[in-house]
Amino acid sequence: MTTKTINLTLKVWRQNRSRPKGGFENYTAKDISTDMSFLEMLDVVNEDLVLSGKEPIAFDHDCREGICGMCGAVVDGEAHGPLKETTLCQLHMRHFKSGDTIVIEPWRARAFPIVKDLVVDRSAFDEIIASGGYISSKTGGAQDANNILVGKEIADKAFNAAACIGCGACVAACPNASAMLFVGAKVSHLGLLPQGRPEAKTRVHNMVRTMDRLGFGNCSNETECEVQCPKSISIREIARMNREFVKASFS
Amino acid sequence: MNWFVDTFRTSLGKKFLMAVTGLGFIGFIIVHMMGNMTLFVGHEAFNAYVEKLHGYEALILVAEIGLLSLAVIHVTTGLLLFLGNRSARNVSYTVKKSGGGRNIGSATMPYTGFVILLFVILHLSNFSFVDTTDRTMYDVITATFSSWIYIIVYVVSVAAVAIHVRHGFWSLFQSLGLNHEKYMPALRMISIALAVIVGVGFGLIPIYIGIIT
Amino acid sequence: MLPDSKVPAGPLAEKWDRHRFALKLVNPANRKKYDIIVVGTGLAGASAAASLGELGYNVKNLCVQDSPRRAHSIAAQGGINAAKNYSNDGDSTWRLFYDTIKGGDFRAREANVYRLAQLSENIIDQCVAQGVPFARDYGGLLDNRSFGGAQVARTFYARGQTGQQLLIGAYSALMRQVSTGRVKMYPRREMLDLILVNGKARGIVARNLITGEIESYSGHAVVLATGGYGNAYFLSTNAMSSNVTAAFRAYRKGALFANPCFTQIHPTCIPVHGIHQSKLTLMSESLRNDGRVWVPKTPGDKRRPGDIPEAERDYYLERKYPSFGNLVPRDVASRNAKEQCDQGKGVGETGLAVYLDFAEAIKRDGKDVIEAKYGNLFEMYEKITGENPYETPMMIYPAVHYTMGGLWVDYNLMTNIDGLFAIGEANFSDHGANRLGASALMQGLADGYFVLPYTMGGYLASNTIENVDTSHKAFEASKNAVTEQVNKLLSIGGKQTVSHLHRRLGKILWDYCGIARDEDELKKALTLIRDLKEEFYNDVNVPGSGDDFNQNLENAGRVADFMELGELMVTDALHRKESCGCHLNTAFLTEDNEPLRDDENFAMVAAWEYAGEGKEPTLHKEPLTFENVELTQRSYK
Repeated sequence: MTTKTINLTLKVWRQNRSRPKGGFENYTAKDISTDMSFLEMLDVVNEDLVLSGKEPIAFDHDCREGICGMCGAVVDGEAHGPLKETTLCQLHMRHFKSGDTIVIEPWRARAFPIVKDLVVDRSAFDEIIASGGYISSKTGGAQDANNILVGKEIADKAFNAAACIGCGACVAACPNASAMLFVGAKVSHLGLLPQGRPEAKTRVHNMVRTMDRLGFGNCSNETECEVQCPKSISIREIARMNREFVKASFS
Repeated sequence: MNWFVDTFRTSLGKKFLMAVTGLGFIGFIIVHMMGNMTLFVGHEAFNAYVEKLHGYEALILVAEIGLLSLAVIHVTTGLLLFLGNRSARNVSYTVKKSGGGRNIGSATMPYTGFVILLFVILHLSNFSFVDTTDRTMYDVITATFSSWIYIIVYVVSVAAVAIHVRHGFWSLFQSLGLNHEKYMPALRMISIALAVIVGVGFGLIPIYIGIIT
Repeated sequence: MLPDSKVPAGPLAEKWDRHRFALKLVNPANRKKYDIIVVGTGLAGASAAASLGELGYNVKNLCVQDSPRRAHSIAAQGGINAAKNYSNDGDSTWRLFYDTIKGGDFRAREANVYRLAQLSENIIDQCVAQGVPFARDYGGLLDNRSFGGAQVARTFYARGQTGQQLLIGAYSALMRQVSTGRVKMYPRREMLDLILVNGKARGIVARNLITGEIESYSGHAVVLATGGYGNAYFLSTNAMSSNVTAAFRAYRKGALFANPCFTQIHPTCIPVHGIHQSKLTLMSESLRNDGRVWVPKTPGDKRRPGDIPEAERDYYLERKYPSFGNLVPRDVASRNAKEQCDQGKGVGETGLAVYLDFAEAIKRDGKDVIEAKYGNLFEMYEKITGENPYETPMMIYPAVHYTMGGLWVDYNLMTNIDGLFAIGEANFSDHGANRLGASALMQGLADGYFVLPYTMGGYLASNTIENVDTSHKAFEASKNAVTEQVNKLLSIGGKQTVSHLHRRLGKILWDYCGIARDEDELKKALTLIRDLKEEFYNDVNVPGSGDDFNQNLENAGRVADFMELGELMVTDALHRKESCGCHLNTAFLTEDNEPLRDDENFAMVAAWEYAGEGKEPTLHKEPLTFENVELTQRSYK
């Protein structure tokens, strides 16, 4: 860890009740250690804001180890910033240069209304899951785990899809604010496993229609979601959902 | 029929419509291009081909009705998708940057599509709805491409078609759910190859007719 | 008052079955008449809410994050234990029970731990049925690995993200109940008070974190699944929003807080990099299977690790514990790392780190083998530190990770307050003085899926619970008190930020109530915390307003509770005059410098009762009796 410090200019989106349309504010981030994470850099800026009597920047975050999916902002035009396969909390300041100006915007989608500053409301994702993103297995009714055989290849594929952290970067990155990668990942995760087959048809029907109803955009195969997804979920999951949907619709 | 309409009202259903109609157009332009290649052989060969083609009147009528319906579906669905997508991102980003997924084809689909629509209208008025009682089709073509403006308009429009195909071809397989690590790389290559072939094949015609001959 | 553990009579293996039969049932048609409030949506909370919803109760489920799927259970990496014996290596319910009770240094209830071991099998079945993509072998059967020094391979895992996959399983079950209307979700809500009516838990008051509104929720029972309090130390591996507030407000209303000083400090975390560090990141302890821990022999040796010759390195774990070597339990590894750093042998810029070296393993097995085993962990390390662990040794240091202490509960997981239940890490649990690896997930899910749904019915069926709704005066009074506290925090307008004060509290706790505890230092800590608390109430700066999304205000309330909890932790540590598990009292060591238990006086649960503002809490002791295991001295020599 070779520590050095850098100075940055931040252009941050601020939006709250007194400023419902929102706009950018400029801040300077001084003496930022390159070992800090992006969120720690924001912490430092916020501490200064508090002490100078200003309102700190609201941003969502929780585990700060890249798994809870709570954090996220569009940094210089890219969801979770410039580093691939990395959530914002795991982006470290050594990837920036002193003197850089960084533009920080919230996820922008009609389905994700802004709560405050960089915080958005992603409850649409929960609604989609509630519409079918589960296997109906009652507590206590399960057979012995090893009675269900799942080949390693299928188990691995299901895991790849299940790795989604529900952060919403796919929606943010998609030029159409589409949630296909999120929905595709869940449809694939459950649909690949034998336990999930009985409900496959209703699942894809309901989840797709809920997604549409909530105002997400359509997929035009731009593949930005796949590129900016911190968990590298592949658009093959979307293709699998499309397949499931055809099957479900014409049978 | 309720389930049928309902299916195609969903986002995925609309994508299937785009994919299937798009596939139809790709088939059409390949056949169209192969026919047009006779232009490079000479005016007799081309006129003979036109003659022969016009012999199948009933077939042509069916094909024209088919293409028209494809066009109506492709254009209306495309328009609905375009509007839906715009409203889904109600506030746009200040910094617009690609993470590396987009390419010229994917980023311009609605716009190249619009250019193609205008071009098709122009193209039909140039070569379809024309009187060929006292001249051959070849004459019509040479007359049209004697104008620099037409050459440029046609070349630009063909480029739009190529760019549209560059994204549209592999993309239609993805939309239909056909994506596997085994064959998707090949489809992506074919997509580029097809774009080049369509671009060069059609693009050379105005240049060849208007400039070289 | 002697807390009654309500452990049923009978042979250990039959207690749970007999008890389940003895518990009264709620008629299915009547269940919808009961409202149950569940606070928290981690493994315990989500599984409980989903299961109770399935049974037909009306469940109100609150969580502090924007979605129930984000609870901190999600960060667990290693796996979940179950006594399935799929590996045919001699595992059994009894062995899992024995390992857990011994690992906890004989400070947990036998009956609870045995039940946990019994239920471990059902958990795996349940999770597989839900679609949790556990690792499989090529034939399609579930794969197991040995974890945390266990001698059997009983750990089920989903790559390095087992917690995430289990939580998504529980979350999906929960969302299914949300769609049926049996569970109503209230995200971005923070519980700020417990409502008692006639001595029974009848509701809570919570703050809507978006609007700032103080809301009332009434119910026939309240379940706290609010996790642990490791964030009292400021730096821990816990998520930023993990806090003690819900549990602590219940404590203030009379719930006993048990063994608050039992905090687990995990040996393999990425070291602190500087003063602005906000949290610590755990590296799976599986790394110790191949990594060798060492420090330079000479204190203050600042050479680069590659420049230090073999003869000048001290592989202290291998030297001191020849039979277990680098695989000693968590508490032992953590203690020794601190000891080396205290002697000035720590490495890195801060001197608060030891090396975990893979050079020999790479030489022996090849880089490919090591990459296949630990690739994702090495990547994560490189992402955070900017250093390549294939070339230079990793640096690690212990960090607060889990809290075994928590609200005191009986065998039914009910606190001493009727109708108030605590499950998962929020209760004082089944882990005694030290938790074994891959056991936290097991406990959370056992409590939520398979214990609480029965015991809740037993409570509701055998008590008359009069109708109370949010118009009851107790709610109004509580709302006023909570609003008053919020306004008080906002009005101080001092010069220190909330996180600055939190950081200071954390340093006191880490220095004096951390890996090793000393009586004089603990007494000093008590004064320091009291002074800091006073400073907090005079000099904290909480910007913004109460009727808005205000993250500083949320934190301020939590830190205020951590201050008081800190005092309680230190008080408990002072009282426990022995060393056991994670609690190392420097005055109680064997000749070999190992922790020395005092089973005669301290084989008990220390359950603390709130006595009022500024008053010494009252201690209640629940004696622990061991009828089925022999108390032995742990030895890893």
